[in-house]
Amino acid sequence: MTAPAIAPLAIPARPRKPLVRAAWALVTVALIAAWWHLDIGLRDLATLPPDIVHYTRLMFTDPDLTALPDAFFQTWRSVAMAWVGALLGVVLSTLLGIPAAAGVGPWWVRLPLRGLFAVIRAVPEVVIAIIILTVTGLTPFTGALALAIGGIGTHAKWTYETIEAVPSGTSEAVTAAGGNLAQVIRWGLWPAAAPELMSLALYRFEINVRTSAILGLIGVGGIGDLLTGYTQHRQWDTVGVLIVVVIAVTMSIDAVSGRIRRRIMEGARVRDVERSA
Amino acid sequence: MTATRLDVPARPRTWPRTVAIAGAIIVITLLTTLPALGGVEIDLGAIARNWGNGADRIAKLMRPDLSILPRTWQPLLETLEMALVAAAISAAFAIPLSLWAARPTNPNAPFRVAVRSVLNIIRAVPDLVYATILVAMVGVGALPGVITLVLFDLGIVVKLVSEAIDSADAAYIEAGRAAGGTQTQINRVTALPQTWPVFASQVLYSLELNVRVSAILGLVGAGGMGRLIDEVRGFYRYDALATIILELLVVVIAIEITSNVLRKRLR
Repeated sequence: MTAPAIAPLAIPARPRKPLVRAAWALVTVALIAAWWHLDIGLRDLATLPPDIVHYTRLMFTDPDLTALPDAFFQTWRSVAMAWVGALLGVVLSTLLGIPAAAGVGPWWVRLPLRGLFAVIRAVPEVVIAIIILTVTGLTPFTGALALAIGGIGTHAKWTYETIEAVPSGTSEAVTAAGGNLAQVIRWGLWPAAAPELMSLALYRFEINVRTSAILGLIGVGGIGDLLTGYTQHRQWDTVGVLIVVVIAVTMSIDAVSGRIRRRIMEGARVRDVERSA
Repeated sequence: MTATRLDVPARPRTWPRTVAIAGAIIVITLLTTLPALGGVEIDLGAIARNWGNGADRIAKLMRPDLSILPRTWQPLLETLEMALVAAAISAAFAIPLSLWAARPTNPNAPFRVAVRSVLNIIRAVPDLVYATILVAMVGVGALPGVITLVLFDLGIVVKLVSEAIDSADAAYIEAGRAAGGTQTQINRVTALPQTWPVFASQVLYSLELNVRVSAILGLVGAGGMGRLIDEVRGFYRYDALATIILELLVVVIAIEITSNVLRKRLR
C-alpha cells in the first residue's frame, strides 16, 4: 500500500500463474538462443547507425530526377497488376467463399474449401508467382494471377466470415417464404453482407498495391523490377527517388481507398451529422 | 401471388449509382489491361503456348523430392529465429511508440502526429523492398532480414495497438490524472496494463506474419528459407520446391493454430 506499485506494473508480474511464468522463461531462453544462434555480430550492429545515415544521405540529398517518368510508368504497371489481381481474386474468392460459409454449403463442401484457403494462405505470393511464371512467362500477367490466387487464401476466409456474421433473421424469413438456397443467398445474405464485402475488396486492392511492388523483385515487371536493378547497381540517388514514388503512390491510394471504404461502411456524411445531433 | 412480386423487388433509385460504380470499375479495368498504356496484358495465348513446359514442372511439383529435407532444417531454423527475434525487438520498440501514437496517452498533438506520420511512411514501403535495400547496405545475412521484419512489425503492431488505446474507454486515465499523476505515471500504471492483452495478441499475430515473410526474405539475400527457395528455383528443381512449400505449410499452420489458441486465452 505504502510503496507505489509502479515498478512491478511496468512488467506486469502474475505471481499466481507458475505455468505462465514457465512459458515466459521458455520464450526468453528461446529468444536468447535464437539471437545467439543467428550470430549477428556486435560489430555489425555498431556500424549500423552510421551506415544507415550514410546511405540515407546518398539516397535523399541529391536525387536523380531523370528516373522520375520511368518510375511513375513502372508504378502504374504495379498498380495495374494490383487492380487486375484484386478483381480476379475477389471474384474467385466470392464464388468460393460463399459455399464455404456455415449455413450455405454442406460440411463436405465447407471443409475442403476451408482447407484449400488455409493452404493458399500459408504459401507466400512470391512462391505462387514462381510456380505460375512457368506457364505464363515473366509478364505482369503472371503477377496479377499470383496476386489473384494468393489473395484467395485470406479473402475467401474474410468472405465466409462476413457471411456467417450476417444475422440469421433475413435468411430465415426467405426460407419461411419458400425460398430455395440460391434465393436465400441472393435476398437473405447478399444485401446484408455486400457493403462489408465491397469494403474488403477495396482493402484487398490496397494490400495488392504493396505486394505487387514485391513481385517485381522476381522479375514480373513493375516498380519492384526497377528497384532491384538500381539497388544492385548501387545507384542510390535513383533508388531514393523510387522509394519516394512508392511511398507517395501507396499512401495516396490508401487515403482514397480508405475514404471510399468509410463511405461504404458508414454511409454519407450527412447522416453522421444527424446521428450525432 | 406476392411470391412472384418478391422475385424482382424494384429498387428504382439505386440504379444510376450502380451503373456509375460498375462503369468506374469497368473503366479502371480497361485502363489497367491496355498494353498500350503499359498495363497488364492478359495473354491467355501464352498459357496455351507454354502449357507443355509448365505442365511438366507442375507435374514435378506434384512429386515432392523428400531428399532435400535434411538441407532445409538449417534455413528453416534461421527463418524461425529471425521471426522470433524480430517480433521481440519490435515489441520492445512498439510499447513506447504505441503510447506516443495514441491520443489519450500522448496529449501533445504535434509529437503524436509526427510519430504517426513516420509510422505511416514505414508501413507504405513493402517488406522485400526494405530487405533489398538493407542487403545492399549491410551485406547478406540474417541482420538485414531481422531489421526488415522489425520495421514491418512496428508498422502493424503500433497502428493496431494505438488504435485500440484510442477507442478504449479512457476513464482509467482520467482517474490517474485526478490522482495527480504525471502523463508518464498514468501511462505506466493505467494505460499499459489495460492495453496488455491487445498488445500481446498483436505481437503474436506479427510473429505469425513474420514466419511467412521471413520465408521469402532470403530471395533477396536476407537469410532464411528464401535463400533455398531461390536456389532450387534457379536449378528448376520444382520437386524440391514442392517439399519446401509443404514444409512451410506445416510450420505456418502449426504456428497459426498455436497463436490462435494463445490469443483466445488472452481475451
